[in-house]
Formats: sequence, C-alpha cells, structure tokens
Amino acid sequence: MGSLPPLLAFGFGNLLMLGWLAAAAAPILIHLWNKRRYREVSWAAIEYLLAAMRKNSRRMWLEQWLLLLVRTLIIALVVFAVAQPFLEQAGLGFVPGQRTLKVLVIDGSYSMGYKPTDKSRFELAKQLAAQIVEESAQGDAFTLVLMASPPSTIVGSPAAEPRDFLEEIENLKLPHAGADLPATLVRVERILQSAEDAGEMRKEVYFLTDLGRNTWVPDLKDAEAAEYRQRLERLAQQATLVVVDLGQAGAENLAVTNVAADEPFATTTREVTVSAQVRNFGTQPRNHHPLELHVDDKRIKEAYVDVAAGEQARVSFSHRFDTPGDHVVEVRLGTDLLDIDNHRWLSVPVKEQLRVLCVNGKPATQHMTGATDYLALALNPDAGNANAPGAVQPEVIPESALLERDLSRYDCIFLCNVAQFTSNEARVLENALKHGVGLVFFLGDQVLPDRYNRELAGEQGVRVLPARLKELIAEPQYQYRFDPLDYRHPLVAAFQGREQAGLLTTPVYKYYRLAPEPTARIALAFDGGDAAIVEETIHRGRSILIATEGSLSSTGAGAEPWTTLPAWPSFVPIVQEILALAVRGQMTEHNVEVGQVLGDSLEALATRATVSVTSPNGSHEDVRMAMDRQSSRWSFADTHESGVYRVDLGAPVSRNEAFAVNIDTSESDLTKLAPEELPKEFTTHKRSSLDEADSPNISHRSGVHKTLLYCVLGLLFAETFLAWRFGHTTR
Amino acid sequence: MENNLKFLDPRTLAKLQGLELRARSIVEGYVSGVHRSPYHGFSIEFAEHREYSQGDDLRYVDWKVFGKTDKFYLKQYEEETNLVSYMLVDTSESMRYKSADAPLSKLEYAQCVAASLSYLILQQQDSVGLVTFDNEIRALIRASSNPSHLKQLLYVMENSEPQRKTQTGPIFHDLAERLKRRGLVLILSDLFDNVPSMMAGLKHFRHRRHEVVVFHVLDPAELEFPFRQTTLFRGMEELPDVLTDPRALRRAYLEEFGKFLQAVRKGCRGQRIDYVLLRTDQSLEIALSSYLASRMNRLN
Repeated sequence: MGSLPPLLAFGFGNLLMLGWLAAAAAPILIHLWNKRRYREVSWAAIEYLLAAMRKNSRRMWLEQWLLLLVRTLIIALVVFAVAQPFLEQAGLGFVPGQRTLKVLVIDGSYSMGYKPTDKSRFELAKQLAAQIVEESAQGDAFTLVLMASPPSTIVGSPAAEPRDFLEEIENLKLPHAGADLPATLVRVERILQSAEDAGEMRKEVYFLTDLGRNTWVPDLKDAEAAEYRQRLERLAQQATLVVVDLGQAGAENLAVTNVAADEPFATTTREVTVSAQVRNFGTQPRNHHPLELHVDDKRIKEAYVDVAAGEQARVSFSHRFDTPGDHVVEVRLGTDLLDIDNHRWLSVPVKEQLRVLCVNGKPATQHMTGATDYLALALNPDAGNANAPGAVQPEVIPESALLERDLSRYDCIFLCNVAQFTSNEARVLENALKHGVGLVFFLGDQVLPDRYNRELAGEQGVRVLPARLKELIAEPQYQYRFDPLDYRHPLVAAFQGREQAGLLTTPVYKYYRLAPEPTARIALAFDGGDAAIVEETIHRGRSILIATEGSLSSTGAGAEPWTTLPAWPSFVPIVQEILALAVRGQMTEHNVEVGQVLGDSLEALATRATVSVTSPNGSHEDVRMAMDRQSSRWSFADTHESGVYRVDLGAPVSRNEAFAVNIDTSESDLTKLAPEELPKEFTTHKRSSLDEADSPNISHRSGVHKTLLYCVLGLLFAETFLAWRFGHTTR
Repeated sequence: MENNLKFLDPRTLAKLQGLELRARSIVEGYVSGVHRSPYHGFSIEFAEHREYSQGDDLRYVDWKVFGKTDKFYLKQYEEETNLVSYMLVDTSESMRYKSADAPLSKLEYAQCVAASLSYLILQQQDSVGLVTFDNEIRALIRASSNPSHLKQLLYVMENSEPQRKTQTGPIFHDLAERLKRRGLVLILSDLFDNVPSMMAGLKHFRHRRHEVVVFHVLDPAELEFPFRQTTLFRGMEELPDVLTDPRALRRAYLEEFGKFLQAVRKGCRGQRIDYVLLRTDQSLEIALSSYLASRMNRLN
C-alpha cells in the first residue's frame, strides 16, 4: 500500500445541498415542456422549411443536446460548489471506504496563550481541531494529545463518537509550561502502533501549533537527536504529518523572568529586598512599562521599567513583613498579548526571628572558651540592644541535650567541637535535614574523626556530612591561610573586594583534612589545596562542614589554638554567610516551577493531619499523607497552572502555607520557526493571520468550489456562444 | 366602387405620374418615335401609307411604292402606339399568407400592384388584360384600352378565391399560346413552385416575343423567418406540417430560401426577364417606381 501514489479523496462540507442536484434536470424538463407548448402558424414557404429540416435534423439534434448538456452542467456545478466540496490528499494512498485515524496534537506550550485578537492561539487550535473532527467522514476515528511538558494523552484509544471527542477538546486547558516535542512524538507513535494492531486504517497526524522555535528545535544530545530523527521518519512512513501554523512572526512580548529576595531569610525585624527581572523578548524597545508589587494580593508599590529589545532590566522593591508566616509577593507587569508571563510570584516564609540551635561540644572553663561562645555572638551581633531585636535568636545547649529538642523547629543547627554522635543522634540530625534544617559542623580538639565518619558520613547508613574526616593537619609554627577559589562560591562571594574583612589573612594552625563527597562543593580552601569549608544539600537541608574550629575552646594547657578565626574580623561575616547558606533552601522551598511537585515532611504524629490544597483557579483538593519511618509526607503534583497554591494543614499541625508556582520563561521567547525550516516529513499549512478565525480552513483539504465556479463561468460563456452559434439567439 | 378603389392608392399613382411613362413602354417597342420597336415587320398589321418627311427612318420606306410612283412613302402599322399588357396574378393558396407584421397578404399586395399598373396603362389609352391562376387559369380577361375596362379587372381580382396549389409551368405554357398579341406580361406571384418548370414557362413567353416582368411578391416573414418559440408550421397547398424550434432552423431555412431566390433571379436574368422583388411591407410606390426608374435607365 505504501507504494501507491498519493491520491485525492473527494468530500463535501455541506452534503445536504446535493439534494438540489435534482434542479439540474430543469433544462431537460423545460425542453420537453417547450416541445409540448407551441404556437401554430400557417406557412406558405413550407417547402423550404422541409428542405432545411431534412438537411439539418441530425445537426440540430446534436446542437440541442449539447446545449442541454451545457445548461444541465451549469446547474449541477453550481449545486456542487454550494455543497462545499473539498479534496483530501491522502499521504499513504487513498483506498475508498477506508477509515482514517486522525491524531490531533494541540500545542500546549504557554506561548499558545498569545492573544493577538479576541481568540488566543490555543482557542483557535481547539476550534480548528473541532473543525477537523466535524468535517471528517463518518467512521473516522480520533485521538487527542496535548503537546505539553510532559505531554498528555487526552484520548489515547481511537474515539469514533465525535460528540464526546469534541467535549474533550472543549475541556482542554492550556498548561503554563513549555512543550516537549520528542516526548510527544513518542506518544503519537504509541497511538499509531496501537491503531495498527487494531486494524487497517489511514493515519493522519495534525500538529496545531504556533511553531515556537523553543519547541520545534528541541535541544537534544547526539543520541537523543538521532532517535528523534529516526522516530520522525518512522512516523512519516506510517502517517501524514500535517503542521497547522498558528503563529505570527515578530510577536512582541515582555515577561517577568525572575523574582527573588536578596536576603537569605526574612524576618519581621527587618526589610526584605525583592528583585524582579523583566525581559523584553521582542524587537521593539519597551519604555515606561508599568510594574506593580503586590503582597498578599494588596498592591504595595508601583514602578516603571525601560527595557531595550532583547535585553532585561532589574527592579528592586523593599518591604517589611509585619507578621510571621508565608507571605506571597507578586510582581505584575502591565498587560500585553501574552498574559501568562506577566506575573511572577514569590512565597516568602517570614519568621519573627531565625531560630538557631548551637550545640556546645566543649563547655567553657573560662570566659569565652566555650565552643559556641564566639559563635553565639557572631550570630546575633545586636544582642543586648532591646530596641533593635536581632534577626537571629541563638540557643545554646550542651551536646547531651540534642535528643531532647525537636530539631525541626529550628532553622539551623550549629554543632561545635562535638566529640562524637550516637546513632540516634545521627538519625535525628538526618531527620532535621529532611525537614530542611541547616546543619553546620565546626570541628575541634574534641572531635573523634572515626566516630564522625562512622555515624555521620554514611558508614552506618546515615549521612549528614558533606565530607569524610581524614587526618589532622598541623605543623608547628605554620599558619595556614584561606584560598577563596576566585570567590566563586556564594559563601565567600561577599568577601570579594573587601580585603579588610580579613578572610585571606585569617590564620589557621590546625584542621582536619577533608575528603568531600562527589556531590559536595568546596566553598573555601586552604592555600595548600585542602578543603576548608565543604557544603552539600542533603535531603531538603544543607550541611556545611568547616575543617577547623569555630571557637577558641581548643586553646589551653599550652596548646596552640586551632585558629584565631573567632577573633578575626572575618568571623562575623563568615558566620552570617554560613547561616545564610544553611537556611537559603527554606526561602526557595515554597517556590517551584510549573509541573514540579509540592510537598513537605511532617512529624510522625501529624499522620492524621488533613492537607487541603487550593489551586490558583480556586479548586480545592485534599491530599493524603504517606508514611515514611519517622515522618509523614504529603505531596501534590497537579501544578500545571502558575500562581499561588495555598496549603491548609489541619490539626494537629494547624498551619497554612503558600507555594508559589512559576513558569519556566524560556517559552516566553516567541521566536517562530519558519515553516520551511521544519523537517521535510511535515506537510505545512500556513495561516497568514488569526483574522481567519471565523472561517478557518484546514491544511490538506483544498476547497474546489472556486474552481467549480470558474467552470460555471466558463460554461456560461460557452452556452452564450453556442446558443449564438447554433442560431438560438435572435440576430 | 370604393371597395374597388382600395387598390388604387393615390400616393402610388401620384408618384408614377411624375415619371416618364414612356419609360416603361419597352414592350410596346415604339412610343411616339422615341425608340425603334423591337417588333418591327413581324405580326404587326399594315394600316396605311404616309408621305416621308425629314427625319423618318428609311427602314420603313415602302420601296415598291417608290418604284411605282418615284415618291417616298412610309408604311404605317395599326399597333404602333398601342401597348398590350397582361397582368398574370397568382391566386394560389400560398398567396393568402400574411405574417403578423405585414400590412397586407401577398395576394392583396399583388392585387394593389396590378390595379395600380392597370390604371396607369388605361390612363395612357393602352390595353391591359388580366389572368388569375393557380393550378389552372381561373379568369382570363382580354386586353382592352377602354377606361371602363378597369372596373371589370378590379372585380375579377377582388373575387378571386385563393385555395389551390400553384402550377406555374403548364399555366405559363398555356398562356404563351393563348396570348397571341405580343405585349408586356407582368407576373405577380410568390413563385412557390418548381423553378425549372416555371422557367420553362417563362421561356415560352420570351419565345413568343413577349416582354416579361416578374414581380416576386414575398412576405417579410418568409425572407427573415423571425420566429422564436417552438412552432407548428401548418403547410399550405397540401404540404405537410412541421413542428420545430425555429431558432435552430433559421439559418438552414434562410439558406434554402436564398437558393430559391437565387435560382429565380438567375433564371430571369438568363431569359432577359426583369425581376423585381416586392416585400409586402414595402410601400407600393417604392416597388413600382424603383422598377420604372430602372426601366428608364435602361432606355437611356
């Protein structure tokens, strides 16, 4: 069958009109009626009339029937034209009576929300899809795929009932994400394969898309690209691939590409700076474009932004949150033709103060010799100023009290010169990481590296350290200095250009050589190349290991201090940066992208808690808890729409959380692929503008009514000429 | 009388009086010495002698008398100044035809022409006779120059009943034998007959030294065939009916009819017979004066 040349199938848009074909009999009836209805005349020159009759009867008969034929044809062709005939090109060869499987693939990337007229591209795509279904022949079957990321098979098994199928099309919602063409082709191939199993059918795949370059030029690695090409070729052999181009070249668009807080955490005690990035994806500069800052749905501030074509601009707002809890900041751009990317949300967890637990492994014997004494000061430099409460509230406990605390209530835990950890303590610490709590380990003379490695570095199944501890490095009279590694890590980035902070001059005399885990990052090193600070995100929390001590507790009995860091000017800023890094995850925890899963771990006792999620569109959904050893976890995956998802955690947790779900703005680039750039496997149907929306016409169907009407015009001329030629008109 | 005079359209007569009546006297051969008679010395009866005067034609000098008397005398003939005309009017059924647009039937038109010419001829004290015919001679009135003769002619014409088929050939042969006195034979007919047979008859007239003028009387519909809707043409003179779409047949009919006219014209020209086509929608004076004018041109 594949060797058959493409043929044309004929159909009618308005089949009922064909009833008027009976009118084509009119010229014949009129002719017969005229023969019965005649006048009588006495005629003298009958002899000559008879002679003329004898010689011309055959010619007259032919002329008469030729004229009748032309007149009948004129009426028949007019009726055909009114019945909206069309030609369908069958890519695999048309077999009369054979059914067609039509796979409708609607582009679900959010650029389809572009609305140059009163209809968006997505609405138009739905309309055209419905039209394809309505105009299909009886017996044709349909499937529906939403080309999103990931793609979604809406109707997988061929549906023969157009009404239900049209309802599915009508119910389609545009997801707020990009589109994954290669994955979509996998789905399409699967559908075609299952149809192949079901029986012989002609197959057509329609892609109703805006031909966005970021969708149609997928960024694939070599192997993936080869697989993609092969799949495309296979599909083209099985089916006719038709692309209906709904895009407009040169579409302008402005988008908020990022909203973030400059500070690592937010408290009610200080202002938070929110920075928004606005990008102009168009070719025209956009000046004085309004931008609004909304906090918890209240407009707080307004600004105007100038963005050159292809550039981006940054706008910052400062705001102080009055109450603790999750607050939602929304940055809203003035409207343009693509509204989805004009909004961006940021969920900011605001606390009264940051709660930091400092575990003291070596209590003080003298003033300021405890393992956490300097640290506590460095964490809250404003301590003692009643008018300006600090953002951080440190709480110092002895290591023996570690198991008594509910660690999930803290934002960060500093473990200073703790000699060793039990298995229980290790699990508690791991659990804390699972709750997103930051862990910071300062070492010291108390530390038993083997115990650390055994309990905390994964040897017993629990890993909370980003590196293993090796031998102690210490050379008498030798001062080790820090190497900032080009200030690449955010932990030390703030020191760049601030040599007076003394980071590079900080003397270190002793440290444990660290063997960082492959997934860990070295933030700061020693000049010999050994890691000084290693950090890694483990579970939901971040673990930071400092190779030396964070106090002067190891001093005494003539022993040299490990480092004079706590007394150095660099200590306060580095502790603050460590804290910021340790808790940074909390700030971004409630901010995800469309399609990502929302969720949280709760204490085991919270298994009975009810979790209700309210989506941006106002729909509520209750989520079930899943048990996980010591904790329970809830998750919510239906985040296909951008906006704020409010989570109501019932008793005994009784807490409200807000999750900001934002789009990946790569789809905001509306650059369009030219149809001729498409792989040759696709047949393209160009649509010049959306103005045609009211009378859409589909790709491979070509209306022949115009041709028919031209034929009618030609026949009318022919009839006039023939009638004149045959003497049927009076001269 | 009034009824009789309907043929004498005064406008026609006035027009004819304005022309040189001698111009149509080609048949009589010799009118007031203007022309030599084509009939001299043949079947013209001798009347008297007259003394020669200057300017007389020497051909008519009686040399026997000159031999006896040594004087010049001219022979004079009885018919020298008399024109004998015969009106042959076709009264066959086909002559009854009158289309919607024509003011007169062909027969009525022919009668008008015949009456007009008869009147003029009688005005000139010339003789005129009348023959009506179809497939046989229906009436034959001998030629006479008596002015009261006109009434008889008109009466006969008016009471002719067109019913039968035409048969011009035998009729013309018969008349050529019966009309002894050479003269002008004026034929008024649609000539719907077998053309060779008709031409043979006309040739007989010419053989008898008659001058012949054919007035071919036709209805405009016969010349133009203006019918549009489907029509049943009922055949006259016992010919079959034809049901047809006249628009489809028009061209072919006109071709056939054209051939007929061409054959008649050609035949007349061959016999040196004057042929005048008269349409029944044309005014009579145009028909007659155009003929007479052409006659005069030939004389001059």
